[in-house]
Amino acid sequence: MSDIHAYQSLPGLRQHDSRPAAEGPLTMRGLLRRPWFIRLVAVGVLVFIWQWVTWVNTRVPGIDEIVRFMVTEMTGGSHGGALTGEFWEPLSLSLQRYAIGLAVGIPAGALLGLVIGASRWARGLFNDTVLVLLALPAVVWAFLASLWFGLSSAGPILAVILTAVPFVAVNLAAGVRNIDPGLVEMSRSYGVPAGRRLRHLLLGGTLPSAFTGLRLAFMTGWNSLLIVEWFGATSGVGWRARFWYDALRYPGFVAWIFLFVILITVFDRLLLSPLERRAFQWNQQPTLTFEEEL
Amino acid sequence: MATVLIENLTKIYPPTLNHARQVQALGGLNMSITGNVFVAIVGPSGSGKTTLLNIVAGVERPTSGSVRALQEGVPAQIGYVFQEPRLLPWRTVVDNMLYVQDRKSDRSRREAEFYLQMVGLSEVADLYPSQLSAGMQQRVGIARAFLVNPDVLLLDEPFSHLDALTGRSLRDYLQRIWLQTRKTALFVTHDVTEAVELADRIIMLRPGGVAYDDIAITLPRPRRPADPAVRDVQDEVLRRFDAMGAAVRFGTAQAAR
Repeated sequence: MSDIHAYQSLPGLRQHDSRPAAEGPLTMRGLLRRPWFIRLVAVGVLVFIWQWVTWVNTRVPGIDEIVRFMVTEMTGGSHGGALTGEFWEPLSLSLQRYAIGLAVGIPAGALLGLVIGASRWARGLFNDTVLVLLALPAVVWAFLASLWFGLSSAGPILAVILTAVPFVAVNLAAGVRNIDPGLVEMSRSYGVPAGRRLRHLLLGGTLPSAFTGLRLAFMTGWNSLLIVEWFGATSGVGWRARFWYDALRYPGFVAWIFLFVILITVFDRLLLSPLERRAFQWNQQPTLTFEEEL
Repeated sequence: MATVLIENLTKIYPPTLNHARQVQALGGLNMSITGNVFVAIVGPSGSGKTTLLNIVAGVERPTSGSVRALQEGVPAQIGYVFQEPRLLPWRTVVDNMLYVQDRKSDRSRREAEFYLQMVGLSEVADLYPSQLSAGMQQRVGIARAFLVNPDVLLLDEPFSHLDALTGRSLRDYLQRIWLQTRKTALFVTHDVTEAVELADRIIMLRPGGVAYDDIAITLPRPRRPADPAVRDVQDEVLRRFDAMGAAVRFGTAQAAR
């Protein structure tokens, strides 16, 4: 045993135990520290405010009205007159367009981001274009897509692609530029081949910004898809929301907007967040205690 | 047998936003290191110590002159221990070691575990760097350098970021492994005590990256800083350092030798 270890093992030296204490009975104070409880309270407050607004303003539909409307849409029931429910067709069409748009936009944005991040020349060439794409609001794409492609699926798909590309590219380029130069030097000094550097250093180093870019691409892509469908399509979730808006059936309009929010939240919670937790497990491990270190 | 030949090596950094004038890190350095020796390069800040190692490792290019690190006539395998551990935070300890290893097999993993055991870290192979203390991370850096079976081992102030006790413990580990492997080692430090404890030869650099003195140390190993013989050599090296400092201050470096 080296001297330092002998010193650290001296009897009478007591180490601080950094392990979390065992969970005791649940008190109000304890509850207020739980993230799930705080989230639950936030949702409760929102629901209460909504309900209060429906009491003071009769043009705002109540939660029960919205739920009833959505059930009729989902079951294909009658909304009165010749109007019947439609749910799965617009939803599946929008999801298809969304998936195709992301399947093209994310790899294209990733490639562009890697090139911009790695090459000063490419940065000069593409940086301004990417910033312009980033600054253009989705509604502009809606009008342009309607002009170029008419009221087809091409417009919404293009809008998703053009929204996803700059978000992924900008974040990934920043990720590449932020890779620790010390790790690059280390790799070069050991002659680590380019393929392994790409897999282990570049991929690992850009993962945090890649996740930020992905999350933004997912959110804003869905957003722009709905806007383009609202203005420049005859099918899909955005079109259906507009249909009920034009028909002055506000519960229908709000129900579809709600669906939009719920889908994106579920997507984030069920897919992105678990993936992110898994990818960053290296950053969530407890540090060894003094005794374990010995 | 490994050889490091440094001929007329000059490195000049161009002006930057922080430095309005160009900076000469190395000024026509000549050096020849042959055999399984432990060489300490000692000098004050700005004497080009780290630049020298970076050029030997191929991380930086010289402005002029040449460096050849050879093993039996072919380019030598380099192992580099940096000032900071430089581990990939998102890879486990053993994966960090295998990252620099060409072969990927059960045997490579066993070798990695062997070197981890040599630095007293056999239990942490599957942990992430963030779970280790700074000293443990640096030990992984040392084990990683030995894993590639280097012909030339470069060590750039590997203990400078650690507290005194941890640094001393790591010097013990390094000395023990080096005695078993006997690699040609270039060890950069500004700490004369470290240099005398570990090296067979001390090369002193003065600011501007010019060799000032070359001292052979023939003391038996392992050495302890408290040994009177080690202290005597330290005193002698420090005396020469003082002379170099005075010479540099008064612009009479050559005359002072």
